[in-house]
Amino acid sequence: MRLMLAIIVCKILRFIGKLVGKGSSLPGQYALKICPDILGQVQLPKHIIAVTGSNGKTSTVEMIAAVLRADGREVVYNAEGSNQIEGVTTLILTHCTLSGKMRGDVLLLESDERYARHSFRYFHPTHFVITNLYRDQLTRNGHSEWVYDAILPAIHPDTTLVLNADDPLVACFAHGHAPEKVKWFGLEECSVSSKEHHGVYNDGARCPVCKGKMEYSCYHYAHIGHYRCTRCGHQRPAPDFAVTDVDLGNGTIIIDRRVTINLAFRSIYNVYNILAAWSVCSLCGVGERVMGDVISSYILKNGRMVRFTLGGHQGTLLTSKHENSVAYDTNLRYIRENEKPCTVVVIVDAISRKYFTGETSWLWDIDFEQLSAPHVQRVFLCGKYVNDLALRFDFTGIPAEKLVCHESIREAAEQLRAEGEEDIYVVTCFSDRDKFLSQTQRQQ
Amino acid sequence: MNWTILHLYPELMSLYGEYANLSVLRRLLEELGDTVTVKTATFEDTPDFAGVDLIYMGAGTERSQKAVLTDLERYAKELKQAVAGRALLLFTGNAMETLGASVTDAAGKVWPGLHLADFTTVETDRRTPQDVIAASTLWEAPTVGFMNKCSVTSGIETPLFSALSMGFGNEAEGGSEGYAAGNVLATHITGPVLVKNPAFLQYVAARLYESRGAELPVLSEDAPWRVHARRAYEVTCAELSDRLGK
Repeated sequence: MRLMLAIIVCKILRFIGKLVGKGSSLPGQYALKICPDILGQVQLPKHIIAVTGSNGKTSTVEMIAAVLRADGREVVYNAEGSNQIEGVTTLILTHCTLSGKMRGDVLLLESDERYARHSFRYFHPTHFVITNLYRDQLTRNGHSEWVYDAILPAIHPDTTLVLNADDPLVACFAHGHAPEKVKWFGLEECSVSSKEHHGVYNDGARCPVCKGKMEYSCYHYAHIGHYRCTRCGHQRPAPDFAVTDVDLGNGTIIIDRRVTINLAFRSIYNVYNILAAWSVCSLCGVGERVMGDVISSYILKNGRMVRFTLGGHQGTLLTSKHENSVAYDTNLRYIRENEKPCTVVVIVDAISRKYFTGETSWLWDIDFEQLSAPHVQRVFLCGKYVNDLALRFDFTGIPAEKLVCHESIREAAEQLRAEGEEDIYVVTCFSDRDKFLSQTQRQQ
Repeated sequence: MNWTILHLYPELMSLYGEYANLSVLRRLLEELGDTVTVKTATFEDTPDFAGVDLIYMGAGTERSQKAVLTDLERYAKELKQAVAGRALLLFTGNAMETLGASVTDAAGKVWPGLHLADFTTVETDRRTPQDVIAASTLWEAPTVGFMNKCSVTSGIETPLFSALSMGFGNEAEGGSEGYAAGNVLATHITGPVLVKNPAFLQYVAARLYESRGAELPVLSEDAPWRVHARRAYEVTCAELSDRLGK
């Protein structure tokens, strides 16, 4: 009775919420009050896929949904990003019959890494994809080992883990889990790999298990690569699903030496997102042809990359995440490798759109030195934290005469509009990007 | 003058940009015409404390801190001798906790500290990452920064900061924070605290000069990086104070 009541209340509140444009967590919150263990009582689909990690959750989830739908499956997923237990409850109950049977073939969840253990207290995923763990939003997350410890209780022995073999911390999730219930994805040594580590810091220098010295036969980016601990032997497992070749110049990758995929977005991140989606869809029984066709024609819908014009300039905004140096580094690498003359705009105005902080330590973890290249003609630094940016750039090899500082984003855009025709790259976060894009003509 | 800085476990005790504390200190000293050598020591090394002017260690994860503590214990005697002599010591973030008598982890295991001080630390399963405004006992300007801790430190009678108007101190919200005695300076503030606080940076430089019986020369106010640092500090102060008023 409580089950049915909770479902009815949830559906009604969700209906009203949609009418008045309210978020999706409140209906679930009320349902949980009426029936706290409701997620343990409802009948869920055969496949429950969860995706968590520092970066790539949304893109990976969207790609998985596109592939599974193309394969004829009915997929229910939290497209609105409501990835805490209340939002997950709303999602499930609004897709339930009054008797508590959820419609759909697949429940697909983007799961907040800190709250996964709450979401999965009463049910558990059949497949749990963990993309990567690195320095991300220290103001909420603490540090990556803290996040690891937060995810660990969310892992059920019956769940098949789909893990990034190239991330030494993520690989630790396999410890104590039945080996037949762990599937690995990874990138083989290829054109994007390097023997040397690149970046300001190296979180792969020491083993996450024993803190011994790690050796890498190659790095793909940050601490992601082929590693082995010289003390305890913790090493990259052989992947079950592998990208065996990458050609970022021509925008193609090859999976398992036989399937060529076209990249809509030529980023190493995207390579991993595709591989994660490929792996879990394959485990759910989707054929290679369907996966290949869908992913090759898949356009990222999350708006992470936005084209615009400003005066005589063609521009590209690469959405990074403040407080996430790896996201910044990946975009800076993209700019570095596009060798056309350009101006780069870096904006830090509001560090977060969700909460207040004045914390700027993460700027010192970003490898801005990558912009020390002849084709980068100018670097505009903007926003409330322009002085923090300028101070950070004082400690790079980029000549001061290339730097232009504006606290006002509008004034920076006006100067750019009035001068030059070179390409522009804007690197900033969701919290700040519309402040710049509103000054431009956005292209669809 | 020639300065030697020893940076302990730089790869592991590096939560967010800690290295930059030494970058700015080095820049400041070099602008005065001094020569700065930064040496590092990690697990495979034997730290050489001889002739060292500053010993620095930054914040790490709780597990990294324990690994470092276990390793560094072998050199606790040499470390104490260096600090009892001329060397200044600056530990930031949870590196501060290693200086005390013990650190008890969240599972209840007691890890012996380096015993440079008598205080004790107990970790909890709650983390309180938050912005900080601190009133120093040693310089005038308020100190700003960020704390990323999951512990309570008890038994400190000579804190570095007398009170926090924002943030969790050694033992309590708003309470005193850090540790300062003799040549030892420690704060749980994480990351590049010297970058964010020109007054703190200047204090450390002045202490180095003092250790050689000299006075810190007057610093050029118009060096661009110092202008940026000062303005950045002012913005952060204003932002945090504004938040405090809400």
